[in-house]
Amino acid sequence: MNAKRRINLGSWLLSGLTVIAAGIWFFPIYWALITSIRTDDEAVRAGFDLIPDAPTLGGYTYVILNSNILRWYLNSTITAVSITVLVVFMAACAGYAISQLRFPGRTLLWWTILASFMVPIQALIVNHYVIIAGVGLLNTYPGIVLPMLIAPVTVIVYKQFFDGLPKEFREAAVMDGASEFQLLFRVFIPMNWGVTAALSIITFIGAWNTFFWPFLAVSVEPMMTVTVGITQVQDAFGVAYARVMAGAVMAGLPVALAYLFFQRRVTQAIALSAGIKG
Amino acid sequence: MASVDLSNITKKFGAVEVIRGLDLTVEDGSFTALLGPSGCGKSTLLRMIAGLETVSDGRVKIGGIDVTTEVPAKRRVAMVFQSYALYPHLTVEQNICFSLSLTGVAKAQQREHGAKVARLLQLEPLMGRRPAELSGGQRQRVAIGRALVRNPEVFLFDEPLSNLDALLRVQMRLELAKLHNDLKTTMIYVTHDQVEAMTLADKIVVLDKGKISQVGSPLELYNAPANRFVASFIGSPAMNFLPATVRLSGGVLQAGFAGGATVQIAAPQAQGFDGERPAELGIRPEHVRLTSPGAGIIDGVTSVVERLGNTSYVYLETAVGPMICEADQAVAVHPGETVGLTLDVAHGHVFGADGQALRLR
Repeated sequence: MNAKRRINLGSWLLSGLTVIAAGIWFFPIYWALITSIRTDDEAVRAGFDLIPDAPTLGGYTYVILNSNILRWYLNSTITAVSITVLVVFMAACAGYAISQLRFPGRTLLWWTILASFMVPIQALIVNHYVIIAGVGLLNTYPGIVLPMLIAPVTVIVYKQFFDGLPKEFREAAVMDGASEFQLLFRVFIPMNWGVTAALSIITFIGAWNTFFWPFLAVSVEPMMTVTVGITQVQDAFGVAYARVMAGAVMAGLPVALAYLFFQRRVTQAIALSAGIKG
Repeated sequence: MASVDLSNITKKFGAVEVIRGLDLTVEDGSFTALLGPSGCGKSTLLRMIAGLETVSDGRVKIGGIDVTTEVPAKRRVAMVFQSYALYPHLTVEQNICFSLSLTGVAKAQQREHGAKVARLLQLEPLMGRRPAELSGGQRQRVAIGRALVRNPEVFLFDEPLSNLDALLRVQMRLELAKLHNDLKTTMIYVTHDQVEAMTLADKIVVLDKGKISQVGSPLELYNAPANRFVASFIGSPAMNFLPATVRLSGGVLQAGFAGGATVQIAAPQAQGFDGERPAELGIRPEHVRLTSPGAGIIDGVTSVVERLGNTSYVYLETAVGPMICEADQAVAVHPGETVGLTLDVAHGHVFGADGQALRLR
């Protein structure tokens, strides 16, 4: 009886801690949301109001009407979709090759891929900038997309997935006369779309949210992605917090929606890459 | 249909030689079983015929054409895997027609071929289902269908019934036998189950440690095993082996057992040795009879009695080692009871110290 009570108490404590942690995590998001619907005066007023006095969509209207945000949305969509499609395609091919094919240098290639994700993107950013500038791709979509295609984790996840498939599937398809491409795209990938879907979503979210590289690669407003563009809102309007927050909320909205709709897949992707990203 | 000729086939995995200089001809239209214990190299041999394993040395010919270095899809063979290897994302129809779709056969033609195979294997009501929605037996039939649709010259089966329960295994065995009767296509069937090999095959190749131990019809292997390994592997329960000292004299082989008991076996064909030599008398359980204690050749103490309904197996401990006797279903013996044993030595086999059978008759 006592032991049961202790377990109940423990589980209540744990639940309470989880709720507090969730509250701490959610508060900045809530604060951004309510700030985005305050008036500019209210946003800078001293005090700690959790509920706006007079909610208004003025910040949103202002951002939509007075900035290039719709163009930035388009740029983000084009670059994020391109990055997602290319990363998933190339990672699937690379993962398949390393997992299933035997060729000279395979092990070296595998170790190179493993080693590559130990190098932070910041360490390569100057090289990327010099190369992209050298080939005249600054302020272009390819200029934003190309350096973002380095995704060793996606290759590793695919390789692990292909390693886990029983070899009889491959052998049966080989007996049926399948080429390597047919094997990959007609047998291996369709066998579990969940992996590809999960990796696509997590790659898309990452590509949409990315700031550092697009910030360096693009200097003209019409080519900016939404994450870079909202910094222009800040510059243009000084400390108009409500408008800045409205821009931030709009920038984060597609990712939030993607997460909301594909929550299970995102969790699966995180689980798949668990222990890899470190 | 095509014959399969293997000459001097060797397979090495690193320093380990799993198949050693093997020669075998599988006749056109035959049903040949490759039989042997785990690790004897039977699946490796099948995979080399299929082209899924490279051959370290030797040649593989199918229908007289050297296919040693040919890719699997061009060998005109089809394989049914132990795990079925059905593509889980495809329906039964798509699974069956997969090879056709790869070669760009028109959809209508694919359906036509698929329907023909489905009719033959009674898969018509299942064509829209996915493998996960099928029973083990149905999956097995789909796997056979997938092989069948390619119209191969040789069918290769790699322990296809191992994953099925006993009842379904018997049923599928019958279906495979019927299929072979209908198609008359060359079939090579890998199994470690001697019952499967005996019931399905018209020729059995017994493999031991990468070498052929004996090739023959099921009854040849049962009645005239070439060596102790084949004798012990074929037949269930296994043959009894009684250590003895044998002496050949005037066409009669006299075997003496520990404890002084002796038997005489007519051996008109036996030759090649003089004097006494150590050997083993092999005798199948159905050729051992129970009698009163002291009235037989040797006595034994019953340890277990297995009653199968149509027959009973009596397990005994004797002065020459453990023995099994096949007895009447209602045999009145009980564990712990001492019985006498007579041996129908006319059906006995004698194996020399090297494990090879002595030719007696």
